[in-house]
Amino acid sequence: MARIGVFVCHCGENIAGTVDVEAVTQVAARLPGVAHAEHYRYMCSDPGQKLLIEAIKEKHLTGVVVAACSPSMHEMTFRGAAVEGGLNPYLSEMANIREQCSWVHDDKAAATAKAIDLVRLMVEKVRRNRPLQPITVPVTKRALVIGGGIAGIQAALDLANGGHQVILVEREPSIGGHMAQLSETFPTLDCSQCILTPRMVEVSRHPNITLLTYSEVEEIGGYVGNFQVKIRRKPRYVIEEKCTNCGDCAVVCPQVVPNEFEGGLSWRRAIYTPFPQAVPAVYTLDEEACLGLHPLVCEKCFQACEAKAIDLNMKPEIVEVEVGAIIVATGYDLFAAEQARELGWGRFPDVVTGLEFERLLSASGPTSGQMRCPSDGRVPKEVVFIQCVGSRDPEQGVPYCSKICCMYTAKHAMLYKHKVPDGQAYVFYMDVRAGGKGYEEFVNRAMQEDRVLYVRGRVSKVFEEDGRLKVWGVDTLTGQPLEIAADLVVLATAMVANTEHDTLAKQLRAIADEHGFYQEAHPKLRPVETLTAGLYLAGAVQAPKDIPETVAQASAAAGKVQALFSRDELQREPVVARVNELSCEGCFDCQKVCPYGAITPEEIRDREGNLLRRVSNVNVGLCEGCGACVVACRNHSIELEGFTDEQIYGEIVALWPMPERAPERVTVKAQRRPRIS
Amino acid sequence: MSDDNWRPQIVAFVCQWCTYAGADLAGTSRIKYDPNVRIVKLPCSGRIGPLFLLKAFEQGADGVLVSGCHPGDCHYVSGNLLARRRFTVFRELLIFLGLEPERLQFSWVSAAEAVKWTEVVDAVTAQIRALGPRRQGWGAEARLQTSNSKAQSLEAQPGTRNLKPGTQKAVEEGIRRIARQLLQTGEAGVIVGYGNGTLKDVTTPLFVTEPEGVEQLVWNERCLNNLSVYLTREPVTRLGRVGIVAKGCDARALVALLQEHQIERDKVTIIGVQCAGMAENGRLAARCAVCDVHTPPLYDHLVEDRALDTGDWAEGDPRDREIAALEALTPAERWAYWQEQFARCIRCYACRAVCPLCYCETCIADKTQPQWVPPAFDARGNLSWNIVRAFHQAGRCIGCDECARVCPAHIRLDLINRKLALLIRDAYGYRAGYDATVAPPLTTFRPEDRAEFIR
Repeated sequence: MARIGVFVCHCGENIAGTVDVEAVTQVAARLPGVAHAEHYRYMCSDPGQKLLIEAIKEKHLTGVVVAACSPSMHEMTFRGAAVEGGLNPYLSEMANIREQCSWVHDDKAAATAKAIDLVRLMVEKVRRNRPLQPITVPVTKRALVIGGGIAGIQAALDLANGGHQVILVEREPSIGGHMAQLSETFPTLDCSQCILTPRMVEVSRHPNITLLTYSEVEEIGGYVGNFQVKIRRKPRYVIEEKCTNCGDCAVVCPQVVPNEFEGGLSWRRAIYTPFPQAVPAVYTLDEEACLGLHPLVCEKCFQACEAKAIDLNMKPEIVEVEVGAIIVATGYDLFAAEQARELGWGRFPDVVTGLEFERLLSASGPTSGQMRCPSDGRVPKEVVFIQCVGSRDPEQGVPYCSKICCMYTAKHAMLYKHKVPDGQAYVFYMDVRAGGKGYEEFVNRAMQEDRVLYVRGRVSKVFEEDGRLKVWGVDTLTGQPLEIAADLVVLATAMVANTEHDTLAKQLRAIADEHGFYQEAHPKLRPVETLTAGLYLAGAVQAPKDIPETVAQASAAAGKVQALFSRDELQREPVVARVNELSCEGCFDCQKVCPYGAITPEEIRDREGNLLRRVSNVNVGLCEGCGACVVACRNHSIELEGFTDEQIYGEIVALWPMPERAPERVTVKAQRRPRIS
Repeated sequence: MSDDNWRPQIVAFVCQWCTYAGADLAGTSRIKYDPNVRIVKLPCSGRIGPLFLLKAFEQGADGVLVSGCHPGDCHYVSGNLLARRRFTVFRELLIFLGLEPERLQFSWVSAAEAVKWTEVVDAVTAQIRALGPRRQGWGAEARLQTSNSKAQSLEAQPGTRNLKPGTQKAVEEGIRRIARQLLQTGEAGVIVGYGNGTLKDVTTPLFVTEPEGVEQLVWNERCLNNLSVYLTREPVTRLGRVGIVAKGCDARALVALLQEHQIERDKVTIIGVQCAGMAENGRLAARCAVCDVHTPPLYDHLVEDRALDTGDWAEGDPRDREIAALEALTPAERWAYWQEQFARCIRCYACRAVCPLCYCETCIADKTQPQWVPPAFDARGNLSWNIVRAFHQAGRCIGCDECARVCPAHIRLDLINRKLALLIRDAYGYRAGYDATVAPPLTTFRPEDRAEFIR
């Protein structure tokens, strides 16, 4: 038998000014199942809470309804008080008679009637509440970082230095990512390699970091604190422990292919390291470029290797690991410049992308840092930089701003001027967006000190005439059409989402936005978390970012993971779905609507092990308690704790109390039965 | 009908993250609005089931409002988008049955849209106030309102077209031959097919377990039963691997059952039969007029009908005209029409028993904790049952019309099923029973799904 206590709060005059709290209390006291009802000036005050605690103890209440403000204000307060009185916290509910009643209505009678309805509704709900226990899940204190660019490196190092085990997975032969390709970085013009490579080496040497390069995440299962991950190690045909990085193999390799790291501006062998400072410092045999991976075809590298590090029989390997948290730092791709056909990338060798230009600037690049045109090696005297190639261009590219191009174009123009002081640099821009510490000053320096000519306008066409590139554009500030004869054209291509984001997103149950970038849990307040608990974002996987922002987010993600790892067990709200196995028919519509992948088939077998039925099973570690599955279930074989059908039914029916029956006998007139045609 | 003292009873089902918080903000901002709405808080609009709305109306609500997060804002990723589809269908169903659209309303209100919340509440209340109290109780008094002439003229019309039976004897032989072979080789433990019944104008389901028995299998234009219903019945499956005779429409049911994991493909042998159409009252059955599965979409063995002629039958389903005529009526007239129909329901559940997709052993209508569907065969319970049945078939019904055929009260369940099938075809490009690999329409969503009815 339910013994509910109802406590009506005046909230000073906030409620009592509009709602007749005395009347509400009197009606509440007569409701079925209500054993106690009272009203008080401030229920949330200490004496108010004492009233509630004492009433629970003295009257042996089985549930309480506090008619006061919004539950978002004081639900926790009164749940705590209920616990102090000896009740399960989930047997306390609030009727919102302030925000949704007294504050929004003037008519005292109508507001009182509404308050009574809201109280009755909650009493009926509480009568059907069940005591719930928080769900505890253990935490595996090991993290997986996907992506070995600067974001992944920073996150892995922060975690490892915090004393946690980290597995860092990188699909390329070396960590370093796009940052390793950069020549210098804005706005300080530090050499990118100089600041990055020490970190890369630290990763490879750190006792808490397991580095798996040339590897990809194959499968992810489980939930926060308890992910099971399968990582596929691609065969590099070189035994990492034995390789001495001497390079004898590459010298004899007969196969030559374009070097991806250099943007195709130079060549590499089939057995190679992407760049001299690669980590791990070992060679990789590119099986697609190799003549045949068989001693009968070619085994020159095998013969040349004194360390016997080459194993042509190496097979892909699946590594299974258990981790408690995952940081995704898979970075970005560049907008395919050939899509901007009018700009001629791919047709003219002297039209290059920003990243290719970085390699032309780099001391370790194909030109050893000398400024040369890719076509014939001459020193370019006129260079045109075109910004927003693909960015802010919903027609040909992407609608968003890639954020970093204004800055790196200024950097490019500056570095070019430093290398070719008598050359001329032009920048075509839409707007210069230089928000950031020292950024505006940096762009101003390019314009004023290095005399880079900024032209506000778009380029309509790049073409070749008399062996020279011609750039047609317009200066929208003067309205003048421009034609510039250029030696080199540099395109600031947009940052776009990594093409592999989609497949990985499904594995991770993360949501990719319309452009393929991963969605954060909240754009302002939870920018590094995702809606999947235990999954965090770092760097350009979430949106275009520059290096300082990427590093900041990576450290933030690492901080979140450390906070998660500071506990041995996680407590989760017990508002989760539960399956009634007896009536579940196994249609798995619930599985189809679950956004968290929390529902999986479970087999019910008899004692001999014969399969009887397949029914749905909810993983309470993954369930977030939205209840979509409950509505999808036609015969209601799933319940959502805290919002069960019984509870909602009670609430709905409570709004229309049965009319009070007259005590005398009711005479019923005989009626004709309905005729069935 | 408007009365200043009359207070409409309106229930709002809202999600706790957006609309509930928006209503809280209206409070903190002290924006005044109409006091006639009672809020029921749920975690997500995806948790708001049509049964809640139904129960509220059944209890006496004059109006119901459902409100959640804007698309893209859902705290649970996609609950509101799933809800949008469910309520598109549910709302159209209730409107088809005669509910005034103003009584069932939907809105997206974010946690910041306090003003919008108050505007929605005021607008909804004003519209319902203008309509007045609900015309009828939920089903009550319906029997008194059957004299509407327009509605009565909508009585079922018999089919107008003649049958073009194919080479029935040859097909019959083909079925027997395959059935015998399946039983002899042990590939099937039981063949579910058609046999001659005691009544002249209809065959009866026949279960053959011995090769000698196959001579009793028949094929003619009276093989109306959708035999796929037996594939989920334990007394049949106990007999061993099932071989089933399936017309095109039956095979669509098999596809739907596969889609919902009720049968396993490798445990059923399907004897597909090319079918020229079935007869009802001596004429071509209505559904056969628009049949596009004369050859079943799924089979293991196909019995071809050499004389199959599907030529000039593609002039449309005669029921589409009936549906259009019903939709042209006023809500009050439609309501009266359906109330009269449902008043005849005796709750025998023959519609449920014969439906291949009503495979739940414990139906929601039989569950009592809580009792969403009133069990009594009164007007109130009948209405709720028929709405729940129709909604549970939405996006799943393959249009075999068995429910309407077996209904002893001749309730036009086929019109309701067809109406929802057309809606889902037009809104979501989905037709049930063609492809077992796609997700049923109410378990999925597209960002651009229709939402014109949502405030």
